[in-house]
Amino acid sequence: MSARAPEPASDRPLDPESPVAEPKSPIPGAGERIRALLFVVVASFCLQLRQMRGNADWMMPLITTPLLTIVFVTIFLHAGRLELVSYAVLAPAMMAMWSTSLMSAGELISSERENGSLEGLIAAPAPFGLVLFGRIAAVTTLSLAGFAEAWVTGSLLIGEPVPIAQPWHFSAAVLVTVLAMTCWAGVMSSLFVLARSARIFQNSLSYPFFVLGGVLVPVSMLPVWVEVPSRLVFLSWSSDLLRDSMAPVAVDDLLLRLGTITLLGLIGLGLSLFLLDRTLKRVRTTGRLTHA
Amino acid sequence: MLSTVLAAARVARADLKVIYTPMTWTFGWLGRILAQVIFFAVIGVLLEDPDALVYLFVGQAVMVAVVEVFMSLASTTWERGAGTLPLLIAAPGPLWPVFFGRSLQWIPSGVATSCVALFALGPILGIFWEPGLALLAVPVLLVTVVSMYAMALALAAVVLRAPRWRNVTSNIAHILVMLLCGVTVPAPIWPHWIQMVGQLIPLTHGLEIIRGLQASYLGWDLGTAAVLLVGTGLLWALGAAAAFTLFGEAGRRDGSISFAD
Repeated sequence: MSARAPEPASDRPLDPESPVAEPKSPIPGAGERIRALLFVVVASFCLQLRQMRGNADWMMPLITTPLLTIVFVTIFLHAGRLELVSYAVLAPAMMAMWSTSLMSAGELISSERENGSLEGLIAAPAPFGLVLFGRIAAVTTLSLAGFAEAWVTGSLLIGEPVPIAQPWHFSAAVLVTVLAMTCWAGVMSSLFVLARSARIFQNSLSYPFFVLGGVLVPVSMLPVWVEVPSRLVFLSWSSDLLRDSMAPVAVDDLLLRLGTITLLGLIGLGLSLFLLDRTLKRVRTTGRLTHA
Repeated sequence: MLSTVLAAARVARADLKVIYTPMTWTFGWLGRILAQVIFFAVIGVLLEDPDALVYLFVGQAVMVAVVEVFMSLASTTWERGAGTLPLLIAAPGPLWPVFFGRSLQWIPSGVATSCVALFALGPILGIFWEPGLALLAVPVLLVTVVSMYAMALALAAVVLRAPRWRNVTSNIAHILVMLLCGVTVPAPIWPHWIQMVGQLIPLTHGLEIIRGLQASYLGWDLGTAAVLLVGTGLLWALGAAAAFTLFGEAGRRDGSISFAD
């Protein structure tokens, strides 16, 4: 195929209102490239939503969220600690968000591998990383429904709305948490490409991170040797900030804490891009993509 | 029939070996299970109540084995996915012994994880056992897990008709079990009729015995709980056998064996 060379600028009409169109360069410009990449993300996002329709497994964390809320709320009500109900409402929502992200990270790879389409996705010109992020973002966004489910269930159980004292702070914390969650799900997905069975890791990474992320019990209440590594997990910052936003007390260092969650998310993004690049190079070299 | 169960158990063992290596079982699965037990136990720290810590710890340490045997719902439907279900139904033997052996892999794995939680993690968290009573707790745990396996199989026979709901059903079922059987809160907090439902679940009675043994209590009421444990377990086993038989017969009649869901 021959590519047409662009016409020299001096031959073009000088009238800016001239209807003569500029010849199209075979090399896409930056704007066109960004549009194409955005299209990949949006298409992946929509594809994921379509695939999730009618698949109960994808929705599992959201289906179990009300029940888990009952488990936690009844523990605190039985102990006569009504003031901790906000903890019991927040925990299942955070767990749903983490679980859906983890599930999407694992299931995306597993299902594409089982379907025989993983090779095609990786060989396609669209960057695999973007496809992955678009699809994970769809799942993470959907997992926000867990917050509403947990709040409604908790409110019904205590017979009054569970207070969220600082809704704007709460919303900002949720937003940065979703972003960080999407980035870290990308890290997990990159690792799952190499694993024989992503589902083993998918099953294994739930409760250890619920403890380290302090989703129910703040990490400050755990021994110092648990608390220190916990501070490297963005979930611990998110859980603390979300809990503080629900309490009727001013939130300290809001911007610093939002910035920390964002920074940890960006570290996840960098790590996932690095790992994905290395992983794809490796499986392309070894030819063990389907049978990792 | 026993030979059928044993033959199916060989498939179960092979499945377990495919799913886990000793390394991934120990550091992946066992690590996750211990984290689950810690997650619930530390709620006692939040409540500043040492008794709550012990209650939640023992409840979860036993519950994790139930979570594992409830994976039978998924592994039962694997036969459908593998396309072997029509052959199993066409075979001259009854269907239920196949499925009773088919998911046995979860029992030793569940009992092992639960034992590690109860007797290794427990002392680290300050929850101790009298050695003799700990030895007694192991067979009680085994009977509890086997009884809950029977319950899981009964549910699996139903889920065989809609395999895509296997994971959702398993998760909903084990959380309901957690709520009803006194795992996180004592059953008497529920209305009477809910407590009655809980009495039909073997875990309620098994957990009562194990809690008693952990507290160095050996009363006659534990004997009653043991009878109820075995009795409810047998009822669920009978229910599971009947449900598998009905599934096979209904599938033959309407030709839905390979085309459900």
